[in-house]
Amino acid sequence: MAGGADHGRTERWVWGAGSVVVIVYALIPVAWILSLSLKRSADLGDNRFFPQLVSLEHYAAVFQDPQFSAALWNSIGIAGISTLAAVLLGMLAAYAIVRLEFPGRRLILAAALSIAMFPPVSIIGPLFNIWRTVGLYDTWAGLILPYITFTLPLAIWILSAFFREIPWDLDKAARVDGATPLKAFVFVIAPLAAPAVFTAAILVFMFAWNDFLFAISLTSTNDARTVPAAIAFFTGSSRFQQPTGAIAAASVVVTLPIIIMVLIFQRRIVAGLTAGAVKG
Amino acid sequence: MSEIELRNVSKRFTGATAVKRANFTIRDGEFFILVGPSGCGKSTLLNMIVGLEDVSEGEIRIDGQRVNELDPKDRNMAMVFQSYALYPHMSVRDNIAFPLKLAKLSKPEIDRRVARAAQILELDAYLDRKPRALSGGQRQRVAMGRAIVREPSAFLLDEPLSNLDAKLRVQMRTEIARLHNRLGTTTVYVTHDQTEAMTLGDRIAVLRKGEVLQIGTPRALYERPRNLFVAGFIGSPAMNFLPARRAEGRLELPPGALEIPAHNAKQWGTAQGPLIAGFRPEHLRVIGERDVSGLCFAARAEVVEWLGADLFVYFDVALKGFGEMGLPDDLDIQRGDTARHTLVARIDPAHAVNEGDSVRVGLDWRDVQVFDAASGENLTLSNAVNEH
Ligand SMILES: Nc1ncnc2c1ncn2[C@@H]1O[C@H](COP(=O)(O)OP(=O)(O)OP(=O)(O)O)[C@@H](O)[C@H]1O
Ligand SMILES: [Mg+2]
Repeated sequence: MAGGADHGRTERWVWGAGSVVVIVYALIPVAWILSLSLKRSADLGDNRFFPQLVSLEHYAAVFQDPQFSAALWNSIGIAGISTLAAVLLGMLAAYAIVRLEFPGRRLILAAALSIAMFPPVSIIGPLFNIWRTVGLYDTWAGLILPYITFTLPLAIWILSAFFREIPWDLDKAARVDGATPLKAFVFVIAPLAAPAVFTAAILVFMFAWNDFLFAISLTSTNDARTVPAAIAFFTGSSRFQQPTGAIAAASVVVTLPIIIMVLIFQRRIVAGLTAGAVKG
Repeated sequence: MSEIELRNVSKRFTGATAVKRANFTIRDGEFFILVGPSGCGKSTLLNMIVGLEDVSEGEIRIDGQRVNELDPKDRNMAMVFQSYALYPHMSVRDNIAFPLKLAKLSKPEIDRRVARAAQILELDAYLDRKPRALSGGQRQRVAMGRAIVREPSAFLLDEPLSNLDAKLRVQMRTEIARLHNRLGTTTVYVTHDQTEAMTLGDRIAVLRKGEVLQIGTPRALYERPRNLFVAGFIGSPAMNFLPARRAEGRLELPPGALEIPAHNAKQWGTAQGPLIAGFRPEHLRVIGERDVSGLCFAARAEVVEWLGADLFVYFDVALKGFGEMGLPDDLDIQRGDTARHTLVARIDPAHAVNEGDSVRVGLDWRDVQVFDAASGENLTLSNAVNEH
């Protein structure tokens, strides 16, 4: 069976090489930005991959810029609230769709999916006009609302797919064991649903955090401008200087929270927590 | 400990009635079995008793108190699910302690009770494991443990052994019997399994399509089934059935006629119309040439099953001249077609019968029960009852 072992090794090698290619391809731009952000202003055009001399001057500059701090605060607040709202609403909707009998359950899922398919750019114009009329233009709520609209379908789909897999006998068992419906949810169902909730939360957060389209169109000042939009308004220290270093530093700063979040929750996202609940 | 009383309890789902006017009382401390084919409403009935399903109509009383509106958490009943429903993120200890924590018992009391339950069920060594690291039998015991720690007023078990292999099932069955003897708690037990029903139950209720057909001790159901369905459902292998018709002083069956003494003539009732004769496998005897009492006929042994203590012999009987009998389809007795019907005899393995042998088979009139083919009613029984 030498041929079989050989075959297995080749296969593993191909997979390994493929993975490396994908990772390198995905990470080179990130590494490039990181490198740029750490170069001195004078070295920005030196065509080197690694900075000659590591300097934090761009980071210092970025954090001294009141525009950036305001944008960072806006980003955190807006993305955070959108995530919380979308996941909470998504959980309620998914629970109802999976657990309750009511007419039009499938319709809701289909409608949700069609909203997710909708190209956001097509509603930007009307939204701009409506928001200006009703006074939501350049406010947090003005961004949170479209973010919830566009991420809720995704949240509902992820959560309802997961809720469907939860052995609901557990809920009944908890009720018979003496739990109120709320306690049964908190002690038994919620811990099991955690992986799905985290997955949904991360995806929603990333959508809101990374969004440029709504942020650039529906904001005009530091009141609600988020980081991706604010970066576009960066200016160099003089009119003739490109703010490349500052942009790179800002980009790294806004990427960090996402990376940290994924790393922290990575282990919780692993499903299979429910193994052993039922006969198995 | 408590008495559970069902008064005309019905359950309707959209489009279907799952339970129709169930009306019986489960006595304090009784081991009560619900059996019936799949989809007959056993689980629904259990869920109504424990409060997981609303009662559409009628009343459930526990110790005389109406509980229809009582939340499951306030009924103090413990349930074991077919899937065990162990909490996968909790250790065995936490699983067993969960109901006690909800009841806000003190920590030492919880520890004491968990330790006791673990000891009874021999789970001591596994208390810190997660359910996924347990075998099927161990999971089943954890589910039992979670039920017994509470000292509930009743145990409700929904096919608790159906996920176990045959050997473990026998072992857990005796364990459950021992547990019931020891605790004396009212127990309602749903099962598909003949043996579980017969060995565990003080009384058995046979359900079919949401209706309770008969309630009685295992012996009563076996010996005096009220109708064709109960007769065919209880007992393994199932009762033999043959089409029959009445002639003066005799009952005519496909293989021959059964004489009945004149003074017993009323035994089989007087109803006209097509009949079905039923007799248990152990009532078919292998007899010698000279034995001529009762109905005797020769048959060819088609299949012989030797099980050590029992010998089952299957043989075909031609239905010449008799119409097809309408046995209920949900009985799952498919032993033949329009032309012939297979009977099974349980005989003493001392008889050396081989496949293909011709044997003489005897049947005594006393062992035959007669059913009305249309209604399924056991005429033998109703007549006997009328006489007394
Ligand atoms: N939520 C429901 N909605 C509609 N019909 C239901 C519902 N639950 C059960 N039924 C129907 O009620 C009938 C009884 O179901 P039940 O689960 O009580 O059967 P069962 O006797 O426990 O069967 P099994 O032995 O297969 O577990 C079935 O016909 C089933 O289809
Ligand atoms: Mg069931």
